[in-house]
Amino acid sequence: MAVAEMEPAVIEGKNSGSPQHRGPGPDAPFSLTQLSFWDRITLWVLTAAAAVLSLWNLTGAPSYQDDEGTYTAQAFAVHSGSLAPYTYWYDHPPLGWIQIAALNWLPTMLGLGDGTAIGATRYVIAAFFVASAVLLYMVARRLKVRIPFAALTTVIFILSPLSLVLGRQIYLDNIGVPWLLLAFYLALSSRDALWHHVCAGICFAVAVLSKETLAIFGPALLMALTYRPRWSNRSFSVVGFLTVGGLILAFYPLSALLRNELFSGSNHVSLQDALSYQFLERSGSGRIFEAGSSRAELLAGWLYFDKYLIAAGLVAAALCLLRKQARVLTVAILSFAIPIVLGQGYLPAMYIIGVIPFLALALGTGVDIAWSGLEKYVRTRPSLRRPLRAAFVAVLCSSLVLMSVPQWFEQDRDLLTAENNANWRQTLSWVQDNISREDVVLAPYSMWYDLNSSGWNDSWTMIATEKPDLDKQFETAHPDGWQEIDWIIVGPSVTANIDSLGLNRAASALQHSTTVRTFGEWSIRRVEAPVRPQANER
Amino acid sequence: MPVSVLASALVVLIALALFAIALSTLYLNTYAWWDPKTQIRTSYSGLQETEACSFSLIMPCRNEREDVMRATLSALLAQTHSRKEVVISVGHDDPETVQTAYKLASEHPDLVRVSVDVSETKNKPRQLNKALSMCRNSVVGVFDAESIAAKELLAHIDSVFATKNADVVQGAVQLINYRDTWYSLRNCLEYFTWFRSRLHAHSRQGFIPLGGNTVFIKRELLNEVRGWDGNCLAEDCDLGVRLSTLGRKIIVAYSPELVTREETPDTLKALVRQRTRWSLGFMQVFAKGDWKNLPTRKMRAIAWWTLMQQHFMAFAGVCIPVAIFAAVWGGFPLVVTLVAFLPLIPTLATIAFDICMLQEFGRDHKFTIIWYDYLRLIVGTPLYQLVLAFSALRALLKFIRRDFGWEKTDHSGAHLSYLEPAAAAPVRP
Repeated sequence: MAVAEMEPAVIEGKNSGSPQHRGPGPDAPFSLTQLSFWDRITLWVLTAAAAVLSLWNLTGAPSYQDDEGTYTAQAFAVHSGSLAPYTYWYDHPPLGWIQIAALNWLPTMLGLGDGTAIGATRYVIAAFFVASAVLLYMVARRLKVRIPFAALTTVIFILSPLSLVLGRQIYLDNIGVPWLLLAFYLALSSRDALWHHVCAGICFAVAVLSKETLAIFGPALLMALTYRPRWSNRSFSVVGFLTVGGLILAFYPLSALLRNELFSGSNHVSLQDALSYQFLERSGSGRIFEAGSSRAELLAGWLYFDKYLIAAGLVAAALCLLRKQARVLTVAILSFAIPIVLGQGYLPAMYIIGVIPFLALALGTGVDIAWSGLEKYVRTRPSLRRPLRAAFVAVLCSSLVLMSVPQWFEQDRDLLTAENNANWRQTLSWVQDNISREDVVLAPYSMWYDLNSSGWNDSWTMIATEKPDLDKQFETAHPDGWQEIDWIIVGPSVTANIDSLGLNRAASALQHSTTVRTFGEWSIRRVEAPVRPQANER
Repeated sequence: MPVSVLASALVVLIALALFAIALSTLYLNTYAWWDPKTQIRTSYSGLQETEACSFSLIMPCRNEREDVMRATLSALLAQTHSRKEVVISVGHDDPETVQTAYKLASEHPDLVRVSVDVSETKNKPRQLNKALSMCRNSVVGVFDAESIAAKELLAHIDSVFATKNADVVQGAVQLINYRDTWYSLRNCLEYFTWFRSRLHAHSRQGFIPLGGNTVFIKRELLNEVRGWDGNCLAEDCDLGVRLSTLGRKIIVAYSPELVTREETPDTLKALVRQRTRWSLGFMQVFAKGDWKNLPTRKMRAIAWWTLMQQHFMAFAGVCIPVAIFAAVWGGFPLVVTLVAFLPLIPTLATIAFDICMLQEFGRDHKFTIIWYDYLRLIVGTPLYQLVLAFSALRALLKFIRRDFGWEKTDHSGAHLSYLEPAAAAPVRP
């Protein structure tokens, strides 16, 4: 038995480089404590590049979205001891914005984000984006991808407009992704150390509690953990990973149970209701092949931002099948794609965020596999070594240029220079300057927290557009219904939201309003209630 | 309002303490499986070609049956190592065992001798000290009367002394009659984790409470520290603590083929007594304060934790459900209640790992572990925790009353831990 256990360490011993060299040898497993010179340089450069790209013009573009405002408001609500400014209805597990809340005091204190809460919170997300970029390199190195191609992985991740535009916004997926990547990094640890695998379970649980859709990568992660030569304490690793991960995940339903909100019941929200809404009742996005379905539109939107990354990533995912360790990427991308291709339920727009790192990884790994193939070939024909290598590099570079110049360059330049939030900002200050703090105002979530905290400080006087219809407390606060609303602020997404969510009260308010001031797509409208309030409106 | 804040803070503090205890238990229990390298590090080092030591093996006996003693002795005499002698250690107030000892010794006059302890108070350390004075070889080993040593054990121990330049080598003991009673499975597994993992973790930290069986010490060193403490109930633990304090090199080695096989206590009452004695012994060692002589603050902290952890662990198993219950029904804020649940994560993870360990236990000793055994393991855990907590509490009461007597328990008519005769001949799988 002792001899059998000796085997993995002996193999590892061989890999860990000859002792006379300083630092690890070329085949040594990647480890942060034993970084080679080039790894260290590359990591620093990539970190700096990711930081610059994510921070530059962060509050200028893209334009602030309602979801971003929601999570900002919820993060600030955590500071005062609740999970949301309105009733928390288990829309998502709260760990994502709890993490924001743990960090957002820092940019707020430093005065970042043009003095707005949503802007400051974007700086928190930037930290997560940089962490993702760095972890992506680390995971690529753990997958034995050569340094330049591992660097390519991260470069694609930080330059792809799809990744950059979504990665700069306050979405829960952006918080979950670094945890997910860390879980993969730990699961792929070559030391086979039990605590690495237990920590992988912890990280995965944190990722899922940050954004539940990331659970789709569970099978791939389990595969990363087990799909390699057997080691002596494998059963411990798998049991530790599943048990600890599962136990931490269980805290979410546990907290619902403790609040007596696990199961559906009258007069209270519940996790059961939220789940059945998200999975069963929420109007689906249709089939992918149905022209004009919102699923097809969503896909078109993703392709608009970066069709190259998606297409090339999918091809590379197939190429990854050729290398045993890289098959995990194929499985990850496949399991991600299944609900898009086969499903017809609701598909959120940020769903793509989870797979972007895996597409980038597949690309980097795919190139590495091709290079390995080339090396193998030139070994039989040494005379072709130079020309073939040069040709490979030339093809790679030119395809990168072809990919990046027309689409990436333009869109990235937009992101780094455009000022898309000027109207938003002007609307914000106009409302702050001109509307009485006593007036009841309906405002889109993107602006809600910054408005509310500028003097209203009451979520039923400054009200987010959806809440009169979706939160039952509105009826208590405003027995006369929509007629009690004095102002409605209309941003680019308001009418669409009123339609898609069926917001009758907001619609009535909008109908009976007149524009007072307009800034681009934004307008501030005064609601003129009919003289005699209709009692049955409630 | 301040009262409720205070109560919340108290719940959080207790929960965090329980979490730390449960985490430390998890760490110690799973240490050997941390990675394949740890698994190798904790094994025997392989046989050397030449023998470097000679062994004097002390076999302390009290109220033992002849067949039990004979089995233990023949396992010792059957050792492949060539240079060994056995000293059967008995007390003068136990004439039957003395007689058996002389009878057995006369069968192997050149290899076996008898030492009769004549001191007033009767206990294991005094018997051991008496026997030590008769030992002639370079390494002294202790084997309890009801334990069966593996044939090649001494040869391997010899190699460890030689290759690792050790002062003390602790071999492993394994209880094996896991099917006999509801608590025996947990008891067996407890030994398994203790010798397979926990002791190695302690050894790595440089502070180790030794076991009383299958332990080997250089005779010179043992004489230097004046043998075992004749007043200590956990003389084995105490010796380990004193040697750790002196910075002596203590090696713990494990290999499933080389474990010494023993039986679990045959009744629940005996188990409780044994546990009470161990707990009390640990408390005694703690109170003696030799550990305070450790050189660094960090080592003293480790020693403090090691000696206390036993008791903490016993209580944690009972306190965690109570804390959770209190938190849920006490009307605390949600966060406080969730924190009260935190210790459950390492606790349940420990049980999950126990399942893996039971599988490995079965594999190592060629037992067929069936689903019923796994079920018994899980269901038995809370009950076993209760037994441990009860024993620890009992020990604490005795400690407060300064009741360290062996005689008293003897008078009660029941057997005392290592002096208890095994109910049947030791099981051989």
